[in-house]
Amino acid sequence: MNYSALFLQLLPEAVLVITALVLLGVAVATEAKTRRPIAMELAIAISSVGIVGACAALNFCPTHVQSASSLLVTDPLARVFKAVVLGLGLLAVLLPPARREITQPGEFHALVLFALTGLLLTVGTDHLLFLFVALELASLSLYLLAGFSRSPKAAEAALKYFLFGGVSAAFFLFGLSLIYGFCHALTLPAIAAALTAGPLPPYAVVGLLMVIVGLAFKLAAAPFHYWAPDVYQGAPATSVALIAAASKAVGAVVLVRLLLMGFGAAAGSASWGLMQPGWSLWLGVLAAVSMVFGNVLALAQTSVRRLLAYSAVANTGYLLVALSSNGAVAAGAALFYVVVYGLATFGALALTAAVERERGDDSLGAFAGLVHRSPLQAVALMIFLTSLAGVPPLAGFAGKFVMFGAAMAKSTTHGTPGLTWLVGLAAIMSAISLYYYLMVLKQAFVREAAEVAPVELSTSHRLALLIPAVLLVALGLFPALLLSPLTRALLATME
Amino acid sequence: MTPAWTLISAFAGALLVLLLPARSAGMARIIALLASLTGAVAAAAACLAKLQHPDALAWSFDRPWIPELGIQFHLAANGLSLSLLLLTGLVAVAGVLFSWNVTHRPRPFFAFFLTIIGGVYGVFLSRDAFLLFVFYEIVILPKYMLIAIWGSTNREYGAMKLTMYSIGSSALILIGLVVAYAAAGGTSFDLDYLASVKYAPSLQSWAFPILFLGFGVLAGMWPFHTWAPTGHVAAPTAASMLLAGVVMKLGAYGALCVAMPLFPQGFVEWRLVIAGLAVVGIIYGALTALTQKDLKFVIGYSSVSHMGFILLGMATATHWGVRGGVLQMISHGIVAGLLFGIAGRVVYERTHTRDLTALGAFDLWRTLPGAAFAFTLATAASMGMPGFSGFVAELSVGIGVWQSDPWLIGPVAVGIIVTGAFSLRAMHRAFFPVRDAAAQAAPILPPLTWPEISAIALLISVSVAIGVYPLPWVTLIDDGLNSPLFHSILSLP
Repeated sequence: MNYSALFLQLLPEAVLVITALVLLGVAVATEAKTRRPIAMELAIAISSVGIVGACAALNFCPTHVQSASSLLVTDPLARVFKAVVLGLGLLAVLLPPARREITQPGEFHALVLFALTGLLLTVGTDHLLFLFVALELASLSLYLLAGFSRSPKAAEAALKYFLFGGVSAAFFLFGLSLIYGFCHALTLPAIAAALTAGPLPPYAVVGLLMVIVGLAFKLAAAPFHYWAPDVYQGAPATSVALIAAASKAVGAVVLVRLLLMGFGAAAGSASWGLMQPGWSLWLGVLAAVSMVFGNVLALAQTSVRRLLAYSAVANTGYLLVALSSNGAVAAGAALFYVVVYGLATFGALALTAAVERERGDDSLGAFAGLVHRSPLQAVALMIFLTSLAGVPPLAGFAGKFVMFGAAMAKSTTHGTPGLTWLVGLAAIMSAISLYYYLMVLKQAFVREAAEVAPVELSTSHRLALLIPAVLLVALGLFPALLLSPLTRALLATME
Repeated sequence: MTPAWTLISAFAGALLVLLLPARSAGMARIIALLASLTGAVAAAAACLAKLQHPDALAWSFDRPWIPELGIQFHLAANGLSLSLLLLTGLVAVAGVLFSWNVTHRPRPFFAFFLTIIGGVYGVFLSRDAFLLFVFYEIVILPKYMLIAIWGSTNREYGAMKLTMYSIGSSALILIGLVVAYAAAGGTSFDLDYLASVKYAPSLQSWAFPILFLGFGVLAGMWPFHTWAPTGHVAAPTAASMLLAGVVMKLGAYGALCVAMPLFPQGFVEWRLVIAGLAVVGIIYGALTALTQKDLKFVIGYSSVSHMGFILLGMATATHWGVRGGVLQMISHGIVAGLLFGIAGRVVYERTHTRDLTALGAFDLWRTLPGAAFAFTLATAASMGMPGFSGFVAELSVGIGVWQSDPWLIGPVAVGIIVTGAFSLRAMHRAFFPVRDAAAQAAPILPPLTWPEISAIALLISVSVAIGVYPLPWVTLIDDGLNSPLFHSILSLP
């Protein structure tokens, strides 16, 4: 085994872990000396440097080297998504948690870095058991991050997240054991070979179903979403940002990898009139349930964080629509969408955090008159929410359109309705979603509010609002900037 | 000057207005006026050039945009879309002039206004289904904001209702377009390509109504019209003008230039249903307008009735009918803009009421003779009196109906009679009340301002110009109708 190549392959993760250790060391040292925890700004600075360093280290990763038994892969898909995860992670770090919530910024940000390490490892593996371990590394860090502020609400959020996460991990592992039992393999290429060689072993397909359940929890797909509203509401903003954006993107990548590269033979079909059991149909059903559940429940929310949680459920539904078509272009579009969704939902969370700092809560009423208090924040809010709603010229619109178009193109052949039932439902649900986003925008732009002393946002918080807003507009006008590299990476990896 | 300047001027104007320093209301409206004038002049220049050199190679702009799905940034214009561009430009200029007195948050007001204008231009210029859909949806959020922030009666409700209908309609359009794209092989969203594909009849018979209904909702097709009156009444004057004048035309344009060419056989199957709904809309809108107490509601329901003529003209599948439908788009765009401008700005801002009975107390024909004069002319145009644009349009539609389905002409005639009745009733009650002049002195109202007079003069002169000499407009429209898009529709028996 070539250890130097292995080291280069793991360089980004190594940089993250080393930064986390340095951060912990600095935190312990300063606390011992001054009896005061390390400053938030310093923790943010150190972890940002670490993430940027990891991004730079990505360049040194050798291309297309597979270590023994696919434990670590650096195929184009892994490289692109490692960069995406680091970018979303950097944004999450830039969003400063409220000082009264987080009393130990050193430990908090070290956990963020560990979670990112887990997510990076998850993206870059073809081995199911290694995937499970990496996913657990990320999940355990995220459970801690969810409850880090130690308020009763955060504790409830963390406990719910942990319990649901634990159950889903059990499903995942049980599914893996079934798959291994009938395919005699745990790497995706070997599984693909085993599945195409003979008739589909039914228990392996049941195992796949269980694995999908485990991932559906990660993606907050209904009916496995019950943790989401409480976590979104109770956890510190930084943790929510990580869970909502980076962790979701990774969930989508894993799903794409697993289904398209490992279990392509077990796809079945979700096309109208041609339905066949297989993951395609399950994803179709999950998508329909998520879209209906998420959108309908979001209509009734008065807390913007909970609203965003239900919108996350709904958006997972749109994502699964594209994946259920079992097409490479549609999957590329889904990966594009999960990134722009992450940016938009991150921006909305960062803005909610800013409003909370000013008004003390995240109710709809707290947004009243935002345009008078801060026109720029109001414009940013409009960009984030209309991108989530899928209104042009923002990236969310391009993502949805491309997903639905590609899904239809894959599933329809000569006059058959194909996935029209699912895409039609998605289009209508997406239209309904505009209602609840407009409820927030109505408060911000139409309603007037009593004067409140404006709170200065820190520079990093402003960056956390500015970067996603600019990216959403740019990617909305020129979607090919991101869509083409993602699709190319996916196609190159599938070859 | 290429037609692209319409788009550029509108969006650049919107951006420029937003970047102005706060408290520069005067500057904002001047920029808005300049931007809309530029658009109108560019559209007029393009129309003139087209009339002079009908066979000149059409202007077009084509760049790859999202290659993964074969989406192009493709703009082009034929005579039909040029005539609608010109309509949009004229209504935009009049809209800015009628909003000259907006002092509440003028910068976002004009920015949203210009964004709507830009979106409308974009729809008329797009030759790619994705691009068309983008522009179609860009309009939605500014519509909501204009009504919810600057509106009047029940504005938040009216704005939300209108927005949900619009987004619902675009969901249907999305489904229809994506179905066509997928069935055509999933390689290109180019409208001309999509229209050249022969889709399976079974697909056409279910995909056409989805797509047509999507556009029909925005065109105010009965029974999906209910957003229109409430939305138009709640909207500020300029937004009512835009909504009734040009935004509803987006629906009609999409139905004509997207839904029908894409699925011609589906159209034939559903043609009579559309014609039936259109006729019901004509009569229902007119009858409802007959019973309204609010002047703006009268105009709102009259829009439903007039939009029925557009849909009816298309549903005839005859050259005369479709041409009349497009003429009615232009005519109604101008007349509805004029009526809403007079009712919402000239009258309401002075009397602070739109109630027909309450307006009677103002003796408007004496206190505001200019407005009464203009409203009389607008009413005549709206009723379809000879010499105004409405006459040419309705006559042409009537000929088309006679050629295709003569038995429908009876109900249409009933609709025209009721239109006369509600128009005269509203005009009479609001502007020429029968009352004892000596009994009560009418209050003195401020005279018309120059922006108001110029906007009124602009719109009336265009309506009369079309009514007296429709040939250039007909030539432009026929240029569009002669394109290969419509071969399979208009050659039908």
